[in-house]
Parts: sequence; C-alpha cells; structure tokens
Amino acid sequence: MDIKREDIKHLAELSEFSLSDAEIDSLQGDLQGIIGYISQLDELDTDNVEPTYQVFEMENVWREDEILPQEADREALLALTKETKDNQIKVPKVL
Amino acid sequence: MKYTPTIGIECHVQLCTKTKLFSEVDNDARGKEPNSCVSPVDYAMPGMLPRLNGEAIKFAIRAGRAMNCEINAYSRFDRKHYFYPDSPKGYQISQFYHPIIGAGYVELPSSTKVRIEHAHLEGDAGKLTHFDTYSLVDLNRVDTPLIEIVSMPDIHSSKDVHDYCKELWRLMCYAGVTYGDLYNGNMRFDVNVSVAPEGSSESGTRAEVKNLNSFRSAERAAEYEIKRQTKLLEKGEKVVQETRGWNDATGVTTGQRSKEEAKDYRYMPEPDIPPIHLSSEFIDEESAKLPLMPADYRKLFDGVIKSDILEVLLDYPQLMNSLRELSTREDGFLGDGSLAPVVTGLAPSSSVVTSGSPSKASSLVLLISNLFASVLLAEEKSAEYLNDLPTAAELNELAEMNIKKELSSTATKEVFLRLFDPQMKGRGAKQIAKELGLIQENDLGALEKIVDAVLAKPETQKAQADFKAGEEKVIGFLVGQVMKESKGKANPSAVQDILRKKLA
Amino acid sequence: MKIANKKVTAERLVKDALAKAKHFEDYHIFTFIDEEGALERAREIDKRIAAGEKVGRLAGVPYALKDNFLSPRGETTASAHILEGFTAPVTATAVKRLEDEGAIMIGRTNLDAFAHGSSTENSYFGPTLNSHDRERVAGGSSGGSAVAVALDIVEFATGTDTGGSIRQPASFNGIYGLKPTYGTVSRYGVVAMASSTDCIGFFTKTPDDMDLLMSVAAGRDPKDMTTLPDYYNEDDSQTDLSSTSLTRSRLYGARSLRTASEPSGTRSRKDCLRIGIIKEFDNESVHPEIRRALKEKCELLKKKGHEIVELEMPALKYGLAAYYILVPAEVASNLSRHDGVRYGFRSEKAVDMDSMYGETRSEGFMPENKRRIMIGNFVLSSGFYDAYFLKAAKARTLIVEEYAKAFEKCDFILTPVSPNPAFKLGEKVNDPVAMYLEDVMSVSLNLAGVPGLAIPAGETPEGISLGLQLVGPRRSDKALLEFAKELE
Repeated sequence: MDIKREDIKHLAELSEFSLSDAEIDSLQGDLQGIIGYISQLDELDTDNVEPTYQVFEMENVWREDEILPQEADREALLALTKETKDNQIKVPKVL
Repeated sequence: MKYTPTIGIECHVQLCTKTKLFSEVDNDARGKEPNSCVSPVDYAMPGMLPRLNGEAIKFAIRAGRAMNCEINAYSRFDRKHYFYPDSPKGYQISQFYHPIIGAGYVELPSSTKVRIEHAHLEGDAGKLTHFDTYSLVDLNRVDTPLIEIVSMPDIHSSKDVHDYCKELWRLMCYAGVTYGDLYNGNMRFDVNVSVAPEGSSESGTRAEVKNLNSFRSAERAAEYEIKRQTKLLEKGEKVVQETRGWNDATGVTTGQRSKEEAKDYRYMPEPDIPPIHLSSEFIDEESAKLPLMPADYRKLFDGVIKSDILEVLLDYPQLMNSLRELSTREDGFLGDGSLAPVVTGLAPSSSVVTSGSPSKASSLVLLISNLFASVLLAEEKSAEYLNDLPTAAELNELAEMNIKKELSSTATKEVFLRLFDPQMKGRGAKQIAKELGLIQENDLGALEKIVDAVLAKPETQKAQADFKAGEEKVIGFLVGQVMKESKGKANPSAVQDILRKKLA
Repeated sequence: MKIANKKVTAERLVKDALAKAKHFEDYHIFTFIDEEGALERAREIDKRIAAGEKVGRLAGVPYALKDNFLSPRGETTASAHILEGFTAPVTATAVKRLEDEGAIMIGRTNLDAFAHGSSTENSYFGPTLNSHDRERVAGGSSGGSAVAVALDIVEFATGTDTGGSIRQPASFNGIYGLKPTYGTVSRYGVVAMASSTDCIGFFTKTPDDMDLLMSVAAGRDPKDMTTLPDYYNEDDSQTDLSSTSLTRSRLYGARSLRTASEPSGTRSRKDCLRIGIIKEFDNESVHPEIRRALKEKCELLKKKGHEIVELEMPALKYGLAAYYILVPAEVASNLSRHDGVRYGFRSEKAVDMDSMYGETRSEGFMPENKRRIMIGNFVLSSGFYDAYFLKAAKARTLIVEEYAKAFEKCDFILTPVSPNPAFKLGEKVNDPVAMYLEDVMSVSLNLAGVPGLAIPAGETPEGISLGLQLVGPRRSDKALLEFAKELE
C-alpha cells in the first residue's frame, strides 16, 4: 500500500512524536519500504489457522491476595521523577 | 409526536480485594497519603511485569453469577493504549477480545429485566488534580481491580436508570465484591441515551454521559438528555454522537470537546499474562459462595413485609440477614420457624402468606422491619445504625415484650433505639426497658388500687358524676388521672376496663 | 571460567578485567564502569574466602551487564537518551541470582537503543566495534556484551535476545551465545522490547560456562508470570507440565535426547543423533563462507556417527515479515511508558501535556525506535489489525507447528545465524529493510519459543568470525549445550 505524509502524521500522533518535516520525509520512505516488505504475508494462506500470541506453555498463573513489602517505596519511586509536590508527580498543565 | 428513550449503561465497579490487580500493595487507598499505595509495577518502571491477583478472578465469577451471567471458561487480557498522565503504562490492561463474564440479566424491583451484554476485568487509572499552571498525579488508584458491566439498551425511563444502578449496587454489595462506597467512587456509571419517534424501528443517535457517581445523578442526567434530545428532534435538528459531562450543581450535561471521539485504542493481546482457563468445578465452587440475593429476599418476605418498606431495608445486606435469622428462630416464644422452609428454598415463598393467618414469625419480622424502616426513613445517618446491628436474640426479646404488652409502641421504639446505643449495647431489651422504667403495669390487683386511689380524690368526683350521667368522653380524663398516678406505667386499656366496671 | 580462591583473589580477577576494559576503551564497549563498587565487592568475597566461609558458585567472577538490565549500580539507559538519569531502585531477578552466587559486575555494556537493531549502531552512545575487525559492526543488539567476552575482558556477559540479539553478535565475534527456551530466565527488571519473544541469556567462551550460568539463572520467578518451572536443573524435564494439553505436543519432538530410542549396536544414545539442515537456508542468498562453515560442521558430525537430515520448512520464509509485525506492535506498546512523567528524560520544551509527550519522545528516542513504534502503531491501528497483526499471529502458529514437525524428524537443527558475517560500519544503518534481512535466520526461533545456541565456526580468510546456531525443541537447552561440546 502507498504511505502518504498524512499517514505518517497520523502515526506520529498515535505515537506521540512531534516530528520535523525532514523527519516526516525520511520516515515516509522508511515506512513505505518496511510496510512493503511485511505485506508479503498476504501470500500466506492462514484460513482456519488460530492465532498465537504467546509461546508460553502454561495457563492460570496467578498469585495469592496478600499485601507484601515492595522493592521500592514511595520515596524511592518519586525520587525518579523531574518534579514533585505534596508527594505527587508534578507535570505541565493538562489541557 | 411522542418519543421513546433507549438507554444502555456501563458501570465500573471497584473490587475490594486486599491487593491491587497486578501488584501486592494495599488496594484500599481511601483516606491514605498520595502515592502511598504504589508498587514499582503500578509506577510502570521499565522491566516491571504484571502479577495477576487470583482473588480478582474469583470476585469476577461471583459478580457475574450475581447478575445471572455466563462465566466464560476461556478469557485473557488485552492492552488498551492511550497517553495520559493517569495511565503510567501508556495502556490499560483490560479484556476486550475474551472477557471473563458473558451474557446475563438484572431484574429490577419493578420486575423489568435488563440484559447484560458482558462484563470484564480491568485496572483502574490514577488521579489527576489540575491547578492553573500545572497538574499533580496520584497513582494510588492505578490498577485497582475493576469490573466493567456493559448492559444492553433495555432501559426506557430515567426511573429505571435509577433502579438499575441501585440494583447493580445492591447485587455487588451482596456478592461482597465491592465496598460499594459511592462517595469514594467505588461505582461509576456511564449512561448512553438516545431517543427515537415512538414505534420507529431504528434507534436514534446516542450521546454518552460519563462518570456519574450516584444513582440520583445518573437518573437526572438521563432525564436531562431525554428532554434535550427530544427538543432537538422536535425542532427537526440532529443529535450529535458525543461524550458529555454532567454538572451535578447545575443539573446540565455539556459536550466534551476532547480527542475521545477520534481515539484509536489499538487493542492488543496482553503478552505478559498467560490466558485464563477455568474448569467448571472452579466456577461452581466460587458461585456457591454467593449469599441470598435481593431477589431471594423479595421472595422470602413476600406478603410479610410491605414491598415499599422491604425496598428500603434491602439496602442493608446485614439487616436482611438478621431478619432472615429472626424469621427462622427455633427458640423464643415466637420461634415457630415457619419461614425456614422458604429460606432454605424447600418451599415456595407463597407458603408464608397462604399458611392461614400470618405466622407468628411473620408478625415478628413485620414488627422489627417496621421499627427499622421508621428509623431508616427518619434518621439521617441511617447507614451508621446498621454497621453494628443488635442480635436477633435482642430483637426477639424486644418483640416479645411488645406483644405481651409489657411495652407500649412508643416504649418499644425507645428501647429499639437504645439497642444501638453504645452505652447500652448488649444489655438486652428487658434490662434496658427496666432501667428506663418503661415496663407497663399489667397487674390488675395493683392497677385496681391505683384506680381506687384516684376515684377517692375530690377533684375526680365531678367527672365520675358526669360519666354516670352518660358523658362518655370524660372517661379519657379519668384514665389520664390514673396514668399520671401510675407515672405512665399503667396499661391504658386495662385501666379503662377497670374504671368502666367500677363506675357501672 | 576462573573462580576466585585463596591463590587467585577476586580482587586480582576484577583488577585484570578493569585494566582490560580500560585498554579496549576505544571499542565503545561500556556505557558505565563500576570500578569502585566492583573492587569493594571483590575484597568482600576475598575476606570471606580467607575466613574459610562458603562462597557462591560464581565467586569473584567479573562479568559485564547489558545496559537494559535494571540494578542500582549505575544508570540503566538501554543506550537511549530517554532513560537519561534513570538509576533503578530495583534489581533484575537475573542479576540478583548471579550476584547471590558472587559474580561481580564491572560495567554496563552498549546496545542498540532499546535493543532495536542488529549492529549496535543505533546506540545513543555510538557504535561498538567488532572484536576481530574494527571496521566492522559488533552485531547487535547485545554488541557491547559480545565484544567484552570476545576480547576476554570478562568471563561472561548478559544479553537479551528478541530476534537474534544474543546469537548474532556472538557469531559476529566468535563466541558462544545462548537464547534459552522462552520463559527459562525471568524477564523481571529487564527493559522490555517484545514481551512474547524476549529471552534473557548469556555470552561465554565455552558451553560448560554457559551451563553453569544457566543452572544459576534459570527457574520460576513470582515476579514474571511467564517463567517456567526450573526444568533446567531437574533431571526429568517433563516435570510440571501440569498446565495444558497443547503444552506437551509443543514441548519436545518425538525424538528428543531423552526419548531417543537406543540405536542398535554398542553406541550409547548420545553417539547417534539426527541433525536437521534447513533447505530454505542453504542457497546463494547465504554468504559462501557461511555455507562452507555449515558443510564442514556437517562433515564433522557425520564422522562422529551422526545423521544429517534435510528439512523443508517453507513457513520460515514468512518468519521475518511476521516478526516485523508482531514485535513492533509489542515494542510500540512497551515503550508507551516512556513519556517523561515518572522517570528519565523530560524535554525542556515540555510546556503542556502534548509537548511533554511529543517533544520528550521525539528527542528521547533514536530514529530506529521511532520507526518500530510507528510500524507497531500502524499494524495495530483500526482497519489494519486483521490484515497485519492478526495475520502475523496466525503465521506464527504455522511457524510453531513447523518446528514441532521438524523435531519429529530430528533432534537438533543446525543453521546459520545470519546470511552474512559482520558487515562494515555504516553499510546498512540507513537502510532498515536491508538491516532487517540480516535477522531472517534468527527470528523464527523467538516466534516459536525454542532455544538456539550460537557456536563459533572458524573465520573467513580475512579473519572475520563465523558462527552457526544449534536449535533444539523447547526445554532442550541443557542437552543443546551438552551436544555443542562435540562441535568444539
């Protein structure tokens, strides 16, 4: 299929990238090539084939409902962020 | 032209598991410090993987069965992608392709049936607080287990919106899967409303009012939307498909100009969590843990408790349970246990009423339920009354005294209220009645003495004469005098009998 | 490998490693070196040895850690700008298990940012040079780790393999690299690339070293729901297959080492194995030197009495396309958490929410990261999901089944790791598809979850390392290493 600039812009939006025009141009070429390559799957006949999402051999893996001490506490976690206020993460105004 | 509304509701229920859906931290963040219930997993640090809480699976089974839903043997999780600071992973772990709870239905008190399309498990989002130049992020609520219950568009009035939301709340509380604390957002409703000309085959364009956190606001929002959309159609205008917000203060919904509409969530099977494959044994084992549901109690007390009163009492599972206990007591003077077969489901509920005159147990239950109803309807903090109920034994004792006429109806209520009083708790109805000197004097000998004393008083002579002369109403004055003499402990009807004899 | 003892102290081992690391600085192997910490821990171990206390199986062994493993020792950057300043308050399970046995991390190694690449050229810190030819790429994504072992700086190094990121750099540098069965080593605390194919493994100079490391690192971890019970250290690898029915059929081929029927004559079962050669991977698109190496190994195997069987595995042809749909989808998803809110880099241009996301992610990710994220969002976006993601997931089923069938015909498969030996720096970095094609022989193992071991296979006349990979059925990892000794 043909990848247009608008498609790149839309994908950039879904990906939360703010791209320069130069980046959009080069990505348009790159994605055109990659999508062209992966589209060869069309040839493959997959009628009546169930999809595989995981190659792990087990099911029903879950844990007990018990509170356990964690490897890192609030202080350790909040220390990782740029800015905090009143034990909360401070971010630029939303909306 | 008349228009009929068509309404479907999505309800998010926060589950009251001890720990979160994907990490072993405290799941009850009510009144806790911001970000104090957050694990590295909830914080979405690189390399962190979900650790599924098995209890949430069991809760989902119970919740599903409470709504008469199929439980799907095969289910798995999916990722729903969107960027927002309240979503640390950049996706919500939900169940899009294979939900755990299948189709079922909820029956409203009006016996209207609302079908459930499906319900699925997912993680909640964090909380944002907005200030003029910045916003603050609290992740305490991140990945609190939720079940999202999706109804079919089977609702056609704002009243049924209220009743459906309330019934869901009851079902989830009875099933014991949520604290049901609406104030803290334990349950949140999204209402999808559309209106169409009466009898028209296709339904109209729908608008969704999101994040309603009370039955009342859900009802009012629906009411408002029905009016708004009807007006538009009458004016020949179109309803826009959109998400709208509800302002409880102004009672108005407004369109939310957000990317919402354009959102593409790019659902993808969750590769970090193996699929869930439940055996029928496992499902049955969990289903068996469900207690009696509101519908069962409606059957059980049908013809015993007036339905409007029952609907008030049904909000309190604990109370319904002690009423049931009460109705099945073997001991005690009213314990003919005539309701027992119904409770254990061995006989049809009709047996309660058809067993000739209402059974003693029935009248006992009726008396107690009336007492509760009067309290609940009057008292503001009714719920608090029910945090710590009197025992069935205490209630039984109280009823005994009332029916033996040892307590007047006012005294009965007085003692009933004291049964909740922390100072008097556990002393029992009789003891409390004694301490308050509320026990009625029924000893005729004793009463006669008091009556004679009163009749001997000069100030009653005229009244006695008038009565003998045929003035009926003065009997009341005389009874009053005797009651006064007895400091209110005399049984008034008994007093009147004696007076009539003596003045005959 | 050299374990510290009373004569050879841990401090000595670590000092040598640090000295070599310094000597090869210009290869850009390390993103961080923990000189102080490493020496301190070495002296600790020496004290305990001197005191006659019990020390671990890896006491004082210096190792290099791929920089996408979380540990409080130095920043975990995944060679990406967006993780700048991120020092993890937690420790990856694999790291913990190694260090509990006394292994000493001397530094973190360079990789293609977020492991996206086959050359280590996509690193924010610049490319790592090949150990045999400084003009050429180290391979990737675990380039730094491979070169650190190949240049004998450390005894072993950790790696992650999502589509060949351990096996390919191992073969580009002439050492052993194991991608275990999916779920053998916990992924907890390792920066995720693609959850359903990511495997944690190692680089070593001998199969025995690899075996020791696996016996330390393998086993179930409550922090990773997709870890298998510790089959590696149990004699009967059939244990704990309780879970599902599909499980067994997919586990071992009918003729795995353990179930192989005794061949006639006096030879023990191990002497006679059937080794599969994949027809589709033996044609002119493969570099002649690699084909020569493959033939030589086959001759050697025949001499040792093994049987060579030719396999037709037509579905593998579609492995690469399926891989470059499924993996980018998981990549886009897993990298969504890098948003500048909670850790790492946040752009100075972040004035509101949109710019915080947009600018942070645009400045923070490398071009190849962006390509893969956008491809992932493409194959998942409405209208394309069925044609791409779902289609690829079905193709994956065919690949899984094809391996299961193959292992009914043979015990192990011997194939090239990549169609070409180490290529020149800059040769392919601007041509994504050409770069992807280098993965054509390695990715299908990850899609099927089967183990693969890169083994050295000599050199080209110009002295460029050559490697091949041994592929086994699920959970045959230990047997794979055992067999590899025959090819040393």
